[in-house]
Amino acid sequence: MMRLPLATILGGLMLAGITALPAAADDPAAGRKVANMCRTCHGIDGYAAIPIAPHIGGEPKEYLEAQLMAFKTGQREHEMMSVVAAGLSAQQISDVSAWYASHGVEATLPDGADPSQAPQLCVSCHGVDGISQLLDAPNLAAETNIYIDTQLKAFKRGKRKHEIMSVIAADLSDREIRQIADWYAAVQLEITPPAE
Amino acid sequence: MTTRTLVSAAVLASMTALPALAQDDNMDKLSNMQRTDATFTHIDQDGDRAEALRSILQHINVPDGFEISLYAVVPDARSMAVAPQGTVTFVGTRKDKVWSVVDRDRNRVADEVMDFAPSVTFDIPNGPCFSPDGFLYIAERNRVLTFPAAEFFFEGPDPAVGVVVAKGDLIPEEEESFNHTARVCRVGPDGKLYISLGQPHNVQPVDKLEMYDENGIGGIIRINTDGTGREVYTRGIRNSVGHDFNPANGDLWFTDNQVDGMGDDIPPGEINRQTAAGQHFGFPWVNGGVEIPQYKDVARPEGVEFVDTQLKLTAHAADLGMRFYTGNSFPDEYQGGIFWAQHGSWNRTTPVGARVMFTKLDENGDAVGAEVFAEGWLDDSTGEYRGRPMDIAFLKDGSMLVSDDFAGAIWRIAYNPQPAE
Repeated sequence: MMRLPLATILGGLMLAGITALPAAADDPAAGRKVANMCRTCHGIDGYAAIPIAPHIGGEPKEYLEAQLMAFKTGQREHEMMSVVAAGLSAQQISDVSAWYASHGVEATLPDGADPSQAPQLCVSCHGVDGISQLLDAPNLAAETNIYIDTQLKAFKRGKRKHEIMSVIAADLSDREIRQIADWYAAVQLEITPPAE
Repeated sequence: MTTRTLVSAAVLASMTALPALAQDDNMDKLSNMQRTDATFTHIDQDGDRAEALRSILQHINVPDGFEISLYAVVPDARSMAVAPQGTVTFVGTRKDKVWSVVDRDRNRVADEVMDFAPSVTFDIPNGPCFSPDGFLYIAERNRVLTFPAAEFFFEGPDPAVGVVVAKGDLIPEEEESFNHTARVCRVGPDGKLYISLGQPHNVQPVDKLEMYDENGIGGIIRINTDGTGREVYTRGIRNSVGHDFNPANGDLWFTDNQVDGMGDDIPPGEINRQTAAGQHFGFPWVNGGVEIPQYKDVARPEGVEFVDTQLKLTAHAADLGMRFYTGNSFPDEYQGGIFWAQHGSWNRTTPVGARVMFTKLDENGDAVGAEVFAEGWLDDSTGEYRGRPMDIAFLKDGSMLVSDDFAGAIWRIAYNPQPAE
């Protein structure tokens, strides 16, 4: 059994290389099954079916996983999501995040929109068109303006916390918040399923 | 940290120079009967969308003698208020629009759907209601506005508007959420406004109890139509999204939405009857007759007897908008009874709901029992929704409108029995 130690060493090396990622390998196919719990509100492809839910198809897996874990641990609270996440294992969270993250997204600015008018506070992380530029930021494209508005106010009032967002939202007026929300809400979003 | 703060301050400074910040100023202009440059959004009533919606009709079952049709294409359609003349039905949303649904020729199909008062920046304007003398009230997440003679001024983008409850005065701003903030309003027999205030949690934390009770969060408040005289009228509700007065005796009836996370089959849904001001319906101690574990050891309010639900309904079916039947075209058995919409469950293992329910009342004014009136918006074979009924209203001819915020439609159910052969 000469291979065993080698495999163990390799495994150890690989693990060391991905310590930033959560424990288990994820499985989008298993995640699709978990997503049956999500579909009524977020759609099976992550295009939300109700205004209060964000579009999650094609969002960074890291962001989705972090939010689900935050709901599970009580760090973030929502009357529905806290209930859902409490019942999910870390593996299920990893899988369902992988399922939604495996979708493609395409955002299109509305006709006549001037990209230079995009909210300058937001674009470096969320893009001009609301497609995330980094792993810890959600897509904002085509979210209901009230959803974005609600989240910004939650950051502003300390109900939701994030090292960058809390600072950015702290000084925004209601009017500025709605203006930002309206910009991203007007973007058209298409979500495409993962290739078979 | 300092750098970031500086950067964001600089960016903020540049933002204030951007255009289109005029929205809030429109309220001032409108109050002074001035014009704004707002324009209407019109919803196409004849295109592919209408065709797709009509294809849902074949799946919907209604009792013998009734027929269902598509009344209007209305995105995100929530609570409805039929204007006194019946020309316009105002329809709220959980987004930023109120729709004017217009039927000028009274052929019982909407001729035109356009946004109401596009000059006003709405924030979850879920709940429109009318006073008998034609004032439209719109209860938003955290404000209440009134539009005098809205039925006659809806065609202009700048209707006169008054503030009944100023922004931020309906609930403390830190209690704003998205989900449990869909307000419903009614003008009661006493001429006051009755507005439901959902509490924003699944079960509220104990340290919020007192403040919520004082503000009527997790209850229904009543206020004079000028915003004065606020009282908590109904206590002990979780998140009611449908109430109406019994025209026969003035009782207030309301539905409620139940606690999640206790399993598929509890707590049962509720429809409640309130016979006096200040009655308490048990939440967060009990919900549909089921004790809530988090409150097992929390003292109940002293000297208060909880009022039991009138009916125990299918758990998690989400009983929402309700209305007494006062029309004259439905058969006698429906007279004076209550119709309500079950929106459908969101996380039940096997989905339930997405239908229109009915109960008669007995001679004492109590509910007799829930029966299904219309169903088929839930595809039982896949568990997917074709539509999700949200509210019930009645046109002047006694026919029923059913709003559907999932399909983006208003359905019409009329009694039209085929003549005997």
